[in-house]
Amino acid sequence: MEARGIRKSSAIITIAAGATPQNLYLRTAGGQNPRTVILRKILAYNAVAATTLMIGTGLAAAWAQQWPTFRLVNNQDNEWTEDQIPEVELSANLTVQTDVLGVLVQVEVDEVGS
Amino acid sequence: MPALPQLYPYKAGPIEMIVMPGEIVGVWVNKVYNFFKVDFIEGIMESEPIEIDLGAVLAGAASATTQLALLEMPTSEFGQFRARVMDDISAIVFQGRADQRHKLFTRVATLTRFTSLHDPCGHTTEFFVHEDSFAFLQAQNQTSYNLAQTRVAFHGFRYVLTPLPEYSWTLKNLPPSWTRVPATAHL
Repeated sequence: MEARGIRKSSAIITIAAGATPQNLYLRTAGGQNPRTVILRKILAYNAVAATTLMIGTGLAAAWAQQWPTFRLVNNQDNEWTEDQIPEVELSANLTVQTDVLGVLVQVEVDEVGS
Repeated sequence: MPALPQLYPYKAGPIEMIVMPGEIVGVWVNKVYNFFKVDFIEGIMESEPIEIDLGAVLAGAASATTQLALLEMPTSEFGQFRARVMDDISAIVFQGRADQRHKLFTRVATLTRFTSLHDPCGHTTEFFVHEDSFAFLQAQNQTSYNLAQTRVAFHGFRYVLTPLPEYSWTLKNLPPSWTRVPATAHL
C-alpha cells in the first residue's frame, strides 16, 4: 500500500477517569495548512476489568466517536492494525475514552500533509 | 556506437554525476558562471559525518540559521548533494545566509519528511556547494511537541576542478559545450 503520510506515534496514555474523553494524539497543526490524521494502529492494555475503548475527536461535550467501540479484554494486550481499522481521515486531535480509569493506550497514525 | 550518458543537474532517479571527468562546467557563484574542467569525481555516501543535527527545537519554534560547515568544499572543488530529512521538521535552505533557495514569488518550498513520499530519489532537493559558498539550513518545528533533535542527512558527489581562465561569463567568451552548476541562489 502506498504511504499517504508520515508514520508517527502517540505517547502512552493512561486513562485518568472513566467515561471521560481525553487527548490521545495531538496532530501537527502548525505551518500553512494543518495536517490530517489517519489512525493506523492501536495497542491497549487493561488490568482493571474488561472494558471498552472508544476513539474519536473532541473533549467533554464536543466528544464525537469516530470508530465503532473496541472491546478490551482484561489482562490482555489488545491490538488492532491498519488492515483492521477503517481509513478515516480526521482534521482534529484524536481523543479516547474507556469505561474505567487506568487503561493504557498508545496509537500509531499517518499524518497527511506536506 | 555506445550511447553517451545523459547527465545533468536535478536528474530524476537515483543520484548520478552531472558530468564525466574531462568535461567543462560553469559554476554559478556571485551572479556569474565561472568555468572549470572536471578532473576527478568521487561519491559521498550518506553517513553520520555528513549528517547535521540542527539541535533541539521547541514546539512551534525555529532553529538558528545554521551554516553547513560540514559540506564545505576545498579550493577548486564543488559538491553535489541531495538531502533527506530524518525528523519531523520543515527546513529552509539558504545559500548564502540570507538568500533562500527553492523560492517562488511569495513562498519558499521546504525540505520535510513528506518530501521522500513524492520524490523518493530526492532529485528536487539537489543543491551544489562550491568551495566556501556555504549552504545554510533553518529547521521549523510545526508539531505540537518539542523536538530533541532535528537531523538532515546528505549524499552526493565531489568534483575536483581545474580553472579555465580563458573563458569568461562577463565577456561572453564561453566554452563550446558546458554544464551549468547552480551553486548559489539566483536572486
